[in-house]
Amino acid sequence: MSKLFFDHLIVFEDLEGKIDAVAKNQDERDELWAIVDELVHHKALGVILDKLPGKDHKEFLEKFHQAPYDEALLDYLKEKIGENIEELLRQELGNLAYELLADFSQAKK
Amino acid sequence: MSGKLPTQTYQDIAKDVDFEYLRNKLKLKHLEAKKAFSKKYPHVEKFLAEKGIDLAKIRQHSAKIIGAGALTGTLLLSSPTQQALPTGQEIADKLKSEKEGGETKFPQKLLVDTLNKSLPQKTRPLNRQEEKYLEQVFENIIGVSAKANLEGEHLNTTYGLIGAEQHLKRYPGDTVVNHKPYLKEGIAPGLGAWGYFAPSKDKLTSSLEETERWYAVVQTLYLPDWSTRQPYLRNWYKYRKVLIVNTQNGQAVVAAIADSGPAAWTGKHFGGSPEVMEYLGGPRYKKGAVVLFFVDDPENKVPLGPVEYNRVDLPKIALREI
Repeated sequence: MSKLFFDHLIVFEDLEGKIDAVAKNQDERDELWAIVDELVHHKALGVILDKLPGKDHKEFLEKFHQAPYDEALLDYLKEKIGENIEELLRQELGNLAYELLADFSQAKK
Repeated sequence: MSGKLPTQTYQDIAKDVDFEYLRNKLKLKHLEAKKAFSKKYPHVEKFLAEKGIDLAKIRQHSAKIIGAGALTGTLLLSSPTQQALPTGQEIADKLKSEKEGGETKFPQKLLVDTLNKSLPQKTRPLNRQEEKYLEQVFENIIGVSAKANLEGEHLNTTYGLIGAEQHLKRYPGDTVVNHKPYLKEGIAPGLGAWGYFAPSKDKLTSSLEETERWYAVVQTLYLPDWSTRQPYLRNWYKYRKVLIVNTQNGQAVVAAIADSGPAAWTGKHFGGSPEVMEYLGGPRYKKGAVVLFFVDDPENKVPLGPVEYNRVDLPKIALREI
C-alpha cells in the first residue's frame, strides 16, 4: 500500500461515496481524491508540528522522509510530545472530514 | 455524440455543476491550507524541497521505499512470528498424508491455521519472503498458482483490507435491476476505471458478464510508476485475474480487476463486487482482511468466481465415522 504512518487514523468512507456521486469518470474522481489526500497530509503534519517542540522538527522530518509508512513514528511522537497524538490526530482529521462533507452537501444544492 | 436523448442531457449538466463547484471549492481550501502551512513552517517547506519531496507525492515516495524493501526483504515493519513455520512442501506433504490416511481434516482449516501463524494481526505490506511462503501455501492448499509479483508487476500491498463495492455499469443504460440477485448494493454512479465493459447491451458477452460479477478493485493509482509507464500498466491491469483469500475464514475467490481504488483515506486497500464480498464473508461482510495475489494463468484456464478447494466428500466421512 502507499502507506503513511497515520493512515489507520483516517476513515473518510462517507466522502468516497459523495465523490463517486459527482465525478463522471476516473480522472475526475482521482483528481478529487488527490486533493482530499493532500488536505489530509497538510492537516496531519500541521497537528504534529504544532505539538512537537521546534528542536525536534528536523529529527522527525528525517525519520518521516526515511520511512513515511512506519507506525513506530507515532511512538516517537508520543514520547516527544507527551500527549496522545493518535487521539489528537483522529479528532482533527475527523473535523476535516466533517468540513469536507459539509462542502459536498453544499455542492448538491 | 453522447448517445443520450436531448431530454436526458440535463443529467450531465447537473453533474458538471456539482463537480466544478466542488473542485473549485476543494482546490481553494487546499491552496489556503498549503499557504498557511508554508507560512507557519517555512523550515519544513525548505526541508521537504531539499529532499525533493512534494507532499502531494508523499504516497508515491512511501510506495517506492516499501517496494524496494519488499523486494530485498528488509522492510522494517513489525514482523510476525515467523519461527518454525512449515515450508510449502511440508504443507503439501501434510495435506497428502491426511488424504491418504483418511483423516478428516479440512483443507480450509489447514489454510486458516497456517495464515494465523504466518500473518500479523494488523494488515501491512508483506516482505518478499512472506509472500513467497504464501504463494506456496496457496498453490498447495487452494490449488491456484498465484504470485505477489507477476511479470515484474507488484501492488503496493498484498495484505490489506477489502471493502464492499457497488455493481459497475457494463454498458450504456445498464441499471441495478439487471444485476440480480444483489440489488441492495446498488450500482456505482460513475464508470469503472476501464469504462463500460461493452459498448452496448447486445455486445455484452457471458465472459464480460462474469468479469463484472466477479470484479476486484486495486489501488493502481498509487503505484509509484503508474503515470510513467502508460499505456502498458493500464492494459496490464485491465481485467487481470487475482486470487483473493479471506484470512479469517479461508474463503477464496478469483476475481478480475475492473476498477481503481479505493482512496487511501478510506482505510481500505482493495474492493470487491457484491458477489465477491458475499462469497468471501457472507451477506453482512463489508470489510475485512485479505491477501490478494495475481493469478498466474498464461493460458487463461482459471475461471473467475469461487475457488471451492474446501469441498470434501461428506458422505464418505459420515460413513467412516459411523
